[in-house]
Order: sequence, then C-alpha cells, then structure tokens
Amino acid sequence: MRDALRKLAERLPLEFRVLYRQFLLRVIDLESLSIEADIPRFLGQFAGVLILIGVFPSLGLLIVSGRPHLALDVLSGMAMHYEQSFLAGSMLMAGLAAVATWDSIFPDRRDVMVLGPLPVRPRTVLAAKVVSSASLLCIGVLALNCGMGIVLPLLTGGIAHFPRMFAAYWFTALAASMFIYGAVLTIQGVTAALLPRRWFLRLSAILQLATFALFLSVWVFQPSFGTVEELAKAQRLGVLTRWPVFWFFGLFNETSGILPISSGSLAPLACLALAAVLAGAGLSLLLCYVRTMKKTVEQPDLEPVRGQRRGLLPVGDQLQTAIVRFSMRALARSRQHRLVYAFFLATAFSIAVSTLTKVATSHRAEPVTPGFLVSTLMMMCLAVAGLRSIFSLPVSLKANWVLQVTQLSAPEHYIAATRRAMLVLATIPVWLTAAGLALCYRPWHQALEHLLILALAGSIMTDAALIGVSKIPFSCSYLPGKANVQYVFWAFAAGFMPLAMSFSRYEQSVLDDPLSYAALVGILMAAAAELWFVNQRRAKAAVLYYEDVEPEVITTLSIGTWYANGRDASADRGNLLNVSKPMEESALGNES
Amino acid sequence: MLELRGVSKLYAGIPAVNSLSFSARPGEVTGYLGPNGSGKSTTMKMITGLLELSAGQILFDGQPIQEDLIAYKRRMGYVPEEPYLYNHLSGVEYLTMVAQLRGLPSRESAERIEGLLRLLSLHDDRHASISGYSKGMRQKVLIVAALLHNPDLLLLDEPFSGLDVGSALVLRQLIKELAARGKVVLFSSHELDTVERVSSRVVILHKGKIVADDSIERLRSLMELPSLEAIFSQLAVEQDPSSTARQIANLIHA
Repeated sequence: MRDALRKLAERLPLEFRVLYRQFLLRVIDLESLSIEADIPRFLGQFAGVLILIGVFPSLGLLIVSGRPHLALDVLSGMAMHYEQSFLAGSMLMAGLAAVATWDSIFPDRRDVMVLGPLPVRPRTVLAAKVVSSASLLCIGVLALNCGMGIVLPLLTGGIAHFPRMFAAYWFTALAASMFIYGAVLTIQGVTAALLPRRWFLRLSAILQLATFALFLSVWVFQPSFGTVEELAKAQRLGVLTRWPVFWFFGLFNETSGILPISSGSLAPLACLALAAVLAGAGLSLLLCYVRTMKKTVEQPDLEPVRGQRRGLLPVGDQLQTAIVRFSMRALARSRQHRLVYAFFLATAFSIAVSTLTKVATSHRAEPVTPGFLVSTLMMMCLAVAGLRSIFSLPVSLKANWVLQVTQLSAPEHYIAATRRAMLVLATIPVWLTAAGLALCYRPWHQALEHLLILALAGSIMTDAALIGVSKIPFSCSYLPGKANVQYVFWAFAAGFMPLAMSFSRYEQSVLDDPLSYAALVGILMAAAAELWFVNQRRAKAAVLYYEDVEPEVITTLSIGTWYANGRDASADRGNLLNVSKPMEESALGNES
Repeated sequence: MLELRGVSKLYAGIPAVNSLSFSARPGEVTGYLGPNGSGKSTTMKMITGLLELSAGQILFDGQPIQEDLIAYKRRMGYVPEEPYLYNHLSGVEYLTMVAQLRGLPSRESAERIEGLLRLLSLHDDRHASISGYSKGMRQKVLIVAALLHNPDLLLLDEPFSGLDVGSALVLRQLIKELAARGKVVLFSSHELDTVERVSSRVVILHKGKIVADDSIERLRSLMELPSLEAIFSQLAVEQDPSSTARQIANLIHA
C-alpha cells in the first residue's frame, strides 16, 4: 500500500510535489516559529484531539450496545443522535479548517511574486495550493471519524450490512465536509473575482470572521433529534430543510437505508447543494487562474491612507500604553492572531447568546441562575485562556530588535504592561459583557454581588495565566506543541467545567447570605492578592525573553545513585576500574 | 567616547570577530569597513547590546556598557543593516511606539516625529501600513527612530541602503552635522566613496580582525594610494576583481 502510494506520488510532476509540501506546512506561519519548533508534532497534537473527540463517544456507544436487554429503539436513537452529531462535527471541522487556511487556499501576493519568475505553470501552483488545503481537510475528517466510522456501521448494520453502512457513513461525512469546504472556496473566489483587489483584501478579513462565526453559531444552535417520531415531526414542520446537516443526514439515510421513514427532499437537496458548491469552487479556481492571480501582481505596493482615527486613550504610563496599543494593533491587524482569538471569543459569545436566549424566552427578569453564573465564569476563562495562547504567537520575530534596543526599564515594568494588556483585551471586556447580561436579572444585589465575584475570578485567572510569563505579548518565538493542547482541552472539559458548575451552585446559595458571601469574597480576594504578589515577586527577578526554548531534560542512568548507595565511595575514589566491577556484578545479579 | 577593548565573538567556537580594539571619538565620524562576512554587523550588534561578548569590553564615556545597559541605551541610536520593522503598524504608529518605549514626552515626540517625517518626505505616507513601504521608506523610518531621542552615540549600519539620491545626500550632510555637534558616530557602509566623504577616520575589518585604524589622510600617505577604495582593495580584497569577473563569465559561457 505504502509502496503503491509512493509510486503514485512519484508519477506526479516534481514541481507539484515540491510546492505541495511547502504549502502543506504553510498553515502555520513558519517565520514566527521558535528555533526548536516541531510542526509535525504540533499537527499531530491537533489530530490527537480530534481522534480523542471521535473515539470516546464511539467507545461509549460500543459499551452501551453491549448491555443486555437494551431496547432496540434506544440503540437506534443513540445511533441517530451520534450520526447527526458526527456529521455536524465533520462539517464544523471542515468549516474551521477552511477558515483557518483562508489565506492559503488561493495563491497570495508572496506566492505570485516568488513563484511568478520561476518556470512553474500557474495551474501547478493553484493545484498544489488546493490539494494541500484539501489534504488537511481529509486528515481532519479521518481523525474525527476514525472511531465512529467503524463502530456505527458495525452496530447499525451488523456484519452482513457493514460494507454498505461503512460506505454510506464515509461517503456522507466526506460529502458534508466537501460541501462546507467548497462553499468557503466559492465565497472567497467569487468575491475576489468580482471586487477590486483592494476592496477584496479589506472585506476578506471580515468575511473570514463572519464565516467563522456562522459555522460556530450553526453548530451551537442546530437541533438534534433522538427518535424517528421527532425526526418525522421536524420534517413535517420543515425544520430539517433549514439545516444543512439534515440534508446530509437524509443522504446517509437514503444511501444506508437505516431509517424506516423516507427523508423526502433532504437527500436530493444535499446532492444539489454539493453539486452547486463544487461547480462554484471550480468556477472560483478558474477565475483565480484567469483573473485573480494577474490582479494580485497589479496590486500597488503602497495604498494611500488619508488620515488616522484618533481617540485611543492612554491605559497607564507610557510604557504600558505602548505595549497595550502594540498588542491591540497586533490583534486587530494580524489575521492569524485574530482568528485564533476569534475561536475562543466566538465560543464565549455563543455561551453569552444562549444565556440571553434563555432569559429572553422567559419574558421576565429572574433571580440569577447557576446557568448565568457558570456561563460568565466560562466566558472569562475562555477569553483569558485565548488571549494568553495568542500572546505566545509573535507578529514579527526579526523586528523584535527594537524592543531589545529600547528596553530602558526593568523587566517588571514590561511584565506589568503585559498584565495590563491582558486586562484591557480580555478580562475587562468580558466583565462588561457580563455586567450587560446581569441587567436581565433581579434582584439587583444578586447581580452586583456576582459581578464582584467575577471581577475577582478574572483577576485570579489573569494572574494564573501569566505565572512565569516574562515576555512582551506577540514578541517571543513560538514553540508549537509545548502547550500540549490536548491536555489543556481535557483539563478544561474535565477540570474547569465541573469546578465552575460546583462553584456556581455554591455561589448562588451564598448570594442571599451576607456572612457566607463575605467569606467567599474574602477567600477570593486573598487568592487574587497572593497570585498578584507571586507574580510581582517573580517579575522582580525576571529577565525578558524573546526565544522560546524547550526545557533541557537530563536523562540519567542513576549510576551515581547506585554507586553512592552500594559502595563506600571514599574507598574507591580515584580508582575507575573498581566502578565497572560492581556494575557488571549488579547486571549479572539482576539477570539471575 | 566609544571604546572597544579586545572584543571577540565566537559562534560555536568559531570566531566571528577576534580581539577588536578601537575607539570612536565625539565630533568625528568613524567609518567601519569590511567585506561581507568580516564581522561588521556582529560588532554593531555587540555595541548595541543585542549580542553578548565572548571576550573583551565595550566602554562608553569610560564606563563598561554592561554595567548599566539601560542608561547606555538611553544615549544610543541604532540603524540596523536589515530594515526589520513591525509590518502591521503604520510608520507613525511605529515611531510613536518607539518614542513611548524610550519614555519621551508625548507632545514633544509627536512634534519631532511629524517634523522628521516631513523633512524625510515620508509625511504623506505616515499613516500607511509599513508592509506597503519600499526599502527606502523603511530605511527612513529606521533613521527617524534612531534620531528621535537625540542620542549621543549613533550607530549606523548601512544607513544608505535603499535611499534615493536626494535622501542619501541629506543623510550624508546630517551625519556630518551631528558629528560636528559633538556626537559619536560609528558608520558602516560598503559605499567607499560616501565613507571617504563623510568619515574622518576609518577602521577596516578583514576576517574578523582589524587591518587598519587611522585617519583616511594618514592611510593614504602611509600606503601611498590615491583613494580609500584603493586602500580597501589592498587590505581587505583577496580576489583580483577583473580575473574573478572573467572566470565567472567563462563559467556561465561554458
């Protein structure tokens, strides 16, 4: 198999293979990486997260299906639910991959300028671009569905119908992912072709974020149905035709024959939509080949700017203002940073919207609920964690010399400025959002009491996120994989969420009890102050760093320990021959 | 006065510069010359404090710079060889950030930035993103950033790189003017004609070692050569240019 693939790859043109490899790794900006960066490990970690997300529910389904006396309709309901959620997950993953590689899908100015003078056909460049982006998509779909893609066909089809179910599952998952990927390609390609290049570049960033928010919102708000009756009712009411995930669920139903009811117009709708976006994507690629690449070259190097918007307020002393403004501008103008932070913010935003929706449907002001309390805590956690993670991504390593040359204050001032940036860009906006949401709740004192607790929690999270951070935001090289994303993800899911829920329940119980509330505030204040002092103390002895490196790991064979324990060291001092003898004896002894 | 005493820098045990000793005095422009890879930029980076020394000492006004690096940085302006800037900022945003990091009063620095940009013909594009700037425009931003705080020591590493003729003439006069006002100017360039016109003294580096350190006049008379170019060719150029050019042409032709 491997040899066949290798032989197949060797038949492709050399230019295509070289460019494909280059573009595949360009998902991450290589110029921002640490000298010790390991990209395959980083990509492996993300694939690991997707595999874990896919494998755990598959194992759960497998265990539950093994239970004796399990009703068939329960199993069928679970299978339906999992099929829907994995289709939705695949579509979300495809959408996020397409948005994340937004700039990499079509050749950019750098590609055109670097590759233009070389004897490489534009269509080879374009093909390498598209295939490299599509490869990432395929890896994602495969990683996410590798568990459920086997378990679900096996349970629903048995051994006899496994091949059909298996083929139907993977065909639907790939079709749904291609639909989303093709839709992004179409939107981007058509916009690039229709608009003047300068307008497109301005709109492109907004379009990217809007698409991102759309995918995430659809994923959060789309319904799920666990029984055939519910599904049939939703179909009668026309709910299913509104959500693309059910078009492809209908396609799965038609190709696998899993449901006793007909999916009606859903499967044809899926086929039609897929055909439309594939045609649109093809047209986009053609337009890019014929028109956009030329427009990219013709784009002027310097665009006139009339004036600058004023009104940026100082946020501390001069140094703090400089660092905070630098961070704000990096966040606002660097697409890579904006996108990563948007992922965290969009999740927090979804939580806020769902909280607001629940309140709006009740049509009256209610006492604060644990749901509101936990959602604000999660929003704070997501915003702080998100900002902390992108603080580690540099905007331009080579330009850092200016920060080093102008470092006229002690490192503690820079570290304080970094904390200020975190407060201004994450903690305070989330707190203000929570304050806005708190207007929906009565009595007032409960909402205000929670806002005080949230402020303290924000301070704790900010200082906890900055422990050991002796760097200026966006200025230190990036070491992918160091953060161990999969551990952080599971720590958040299994650690922070249950903790936040328990804390919120307790908080709600003390909101009307002044003594207990005062005790809680006192404890939080003490924790916040302690963390602040710890960071202050560390900052005084800190040295600012601009290069992220792996901690040195020394592997020892414990020979010295054995030697010290097993022999009188002084007796053998200076006689190296004596050292080897007990080692040999020890080895023999272990064998015997 | 800037003084280097036995300064060496080793990369993985290999010396980039070896036991350099020279000085640059206030009121004069010291030219710092050498072929590619001779260690000029390494020396400049060590003088700015960006690189640590493997051996030796750098003194400014008699004080080792490492003793109080922050106080030293306050008095130093630096134009690096490569125009690395934060591309996501506009010219004026970048310069404002540098002024803030240097702790300059905001009104005074804003006026100074405005004036310098106007004088260097960059005023119209001050709000455009640096990513769109040409090499010359980036160089002007670097020059303004180095001059903003009125430094006592000016380190110029290839400052004419990418500048148009008009701006280069202005910069040439500016370097002389700043030296005449008592500043220490260390100036590295491959444009020997410019160095000859601007500098009073030159330090010539070859393979990490100093091969000449004197006034241009004295070097001319000692070596009995008519120009700095001839002196440089004799001291630091190993190849015969016409022979090498012929060999290259032959190689391509073959």
